[in-house]
Amino acid sequence: MSRFLNFDTLSLHAGQVVDPEYGARAAPIYQTTSYVFPDTDTASSIFNLERGGHAYSRITNPTVGVLEQRIAALEGGSAAICTSSGMAATFCGITAILEQGDHIVASTQMYGGNISLMKNTLPRFGITTTFVDPTDTDGFRKAVQDNTKLIYGELIGNPGLDILDLEAIAKIGADHHIPVMIDATFNTPYLCRCFDYGANMTVHSVTKWMGGHGVAIGGAIVDGGNFDWGATDKYPTITEPYAPFTGINLWDEFGPSAFATRIRAEAMRDFGPSMSPMNAFLLLQGIETLSLRMDKHLSNTMDLLDYLSNHDQVSWVNHPSLPSHTSHELARKYLPKGAGSIVSFGVKGGREAGKAFIENVELASHLANVGDAKTLIIHPATTTHSRIDADALVAAGITEDMVRLSVGLEDVADIKADFENGFRAAKRITKK
Amino acid sequence: MYFDVGGKQVFATTGGKPFDNSKPTVIFLHGSGLDHTFWGLHSRFFAFRNYAVLVPDLPGHTNSEGPALTSIEAMGDWLNDVIEALDANDVSLVAHSQGCLVALEFASRYPDRLRSVSFIASGLATPVNDVLLNAAENDPEAAIAMMLGWGFGSAGHLHQGPIPGNSMVAGGRKVMRGNVPDALATDLKACNNYKNGVGAAEMVSGPIQVIVAGKDRMAPGKATTELIEHLSDPDVTVIARSGHMVPQEVPDQCRALLKAFIFSNNPAT
Repeated sequence: MSRFLNFDTLSLHAGQVVDPEYGARAAPIYQTTSYVFPDTDTASSIFNLERGGHAYSRITNPTVGVLEQRIAALEGGSAAICTSSGMAATFCGITAILEQGDHIVASTQMYGGNISLMKNTLPRFGITTTFVDPTDTDGFRKAVQDNTKLIYGELIGNPGLDILDLEAIAKIGADHHIPVMIDATFNTPYLCRCFDYGANMTVHSVTKWMGGHGVAIGGAIVDGGNFDWGATDKYPTITEPYAPFTGINLWDEFGPSAFATRIRAEAMRDFGPSMSPMNAFLLLQGIETLSLRMDKHLSNTMDLLDYLSNHDQVSWVNHPSLPSHTSHELARKYLPKGAGSIVSFGVKGGREAGKAFIENVELASHLANVGDAKTLIIHPATTTHSRIDADALVAAGITEDMVRLSVGLEDVADIKADFENGFRAAKRITKK
Repeated sequence: MYFDVGGKQVFATTGGKPFDNSKPTVIFLHGSGLDHTFWGLHSRFFAFRNYAVLVPDLPGHTNSEGPALTSIEAMGDWLNDVIEALDANDVSLVAHSQGCLVALEFASRYPDRLRSVSFIASGLATPVNDVLLNAAENDPEAAIAMMLGWGFGSAGHLHQGPIPGNSMVAGGRKVMRGNVPDALATDLKACNNYKNGVGAAEMVSGPIQVIVAGKDRMAPGKATTELIEHLSDPDVTVIARSGHMVPQEVPDQCRALLKAFIFSNNPAT
């Protein structure tokens, strides 16, 4: 093997060493808390980061390790760490480099959990955030302060679907020597490899399209390995001796995977947000078919965009693939295969009509998730984004009549027929 | 740590322990376009077993001041300057790929400084084809892709690294991107121009170890056989399943071999 393997091949094989004892072709589920050391020297070597290996499943696990290495391979990152959820990944990534008194510049259009973390939770620990409209690229530059240590955003904003001008944002980061962390959940590495455009880390809720079947919660943080932590003294957690590991200097010893190693050594040990081996196994099954599923998600999405755009019960349709979307050109640049399978639209008649639509579809499931194989719908203003205040709701581009649709893999004719039932119910409300 | 050699700043890691020249020393030499991080799974092991460990970046590579040195002979002399600058003693050299050519030159000219030499994935010479030489100067990404593509065996291409979560290939790419075009192009030219392998190998004395990668496409079997033939009674081990990047692809096997050889020939108290 002398050439680099392509995406679909890596989706199936990366990270897995075929079980040497029984020859199991699938990655085995190592459902164990701990590992028998062959001798004391090996044990001390693993604990002292002198060699790879497993000591305790809160820190590493062989099944989880396969998933981590597969995600790193698909992203083109130097290392990945899987966590119990996407939010855990985000938290671990932030706390690996930020401390009391530090500052984040972040997009206004993000998952409600991300906004709540930065707006409500992190300030309790002395970390503040300035939120910037993702379409206002220069606003990111203006928001940078002396204590800014991270720029954060979602490539495809949730739920407004505005696309970050990633290269421009990455340049702002590079100019100020600040790493750029991108929540790449909505795009997955199949649609865009963010490191190719200058991002320094990505985080994923692998619960969504990466896993794709709605059966396991999980997260991942990927180290792009492309940030020069040693160029300034702003990031002591990476470049200064780390006392709990005999004063190890992670930047000196691990170079391109220093950031990931910090998370492994600190967050996984001290916070403990580990992914279960069973979940890693389930998520691996999903990743094996990532490109096939994404292609079908995208083709169904394009079909439904045409259907919704021409429907007399729909007041507006929002998706970056539509020429009318403000991010259309950015979507063509960063997401040439397609701009994901989340669509938002307004049902004529406002809140009550939208409610009637949601309550009268049957195939489409009304729930708080995206990226399932099945079609999902929700009303963000009363659910996923209900805990953020009115101003933040407006900033996130959420309206009362908005329905968020996560397009699934069903036969698209059946999705349309199901929606017709919803629209008929909405029409009845409108006529009253 | 940084230290001065001939008026230039040299960077080296020391395996997580301060460099103590009262202890026997293990020096690790990296290959073309790479740096100290190549040896992360080996340096720390020896540092925590009472050796003074030094993993320098060659001049012009990553953290060491440039320019890159233009000949293998100059790199051999520079290594001697490094050892003198630190007053290092009882040196065991561990070298990979281009580092082995440097080790050959150094060992042939400064035998009194050495307690042992370990050559990993090397021949007596490293001829470099014109396509790669040209790419290193004019299309660094292509050069990096060629070197990593040929350099790593199946474990690398399948991202089966020994550290959970880590990708060896991606890590190597990030390091090499920091050392192009100047350092990589200069390294490859130096390798291509090096013709003193036979003479140098025949001058090397003392305990010699050769670790051969069974699936090496950068230093194929014929080149390695020539090296072995011209060395004096080397301890040879073939790791059948490894590609060229032995210390990263099969670190546990590689470390075990180095441990047995260095502990035996250059024991630390």
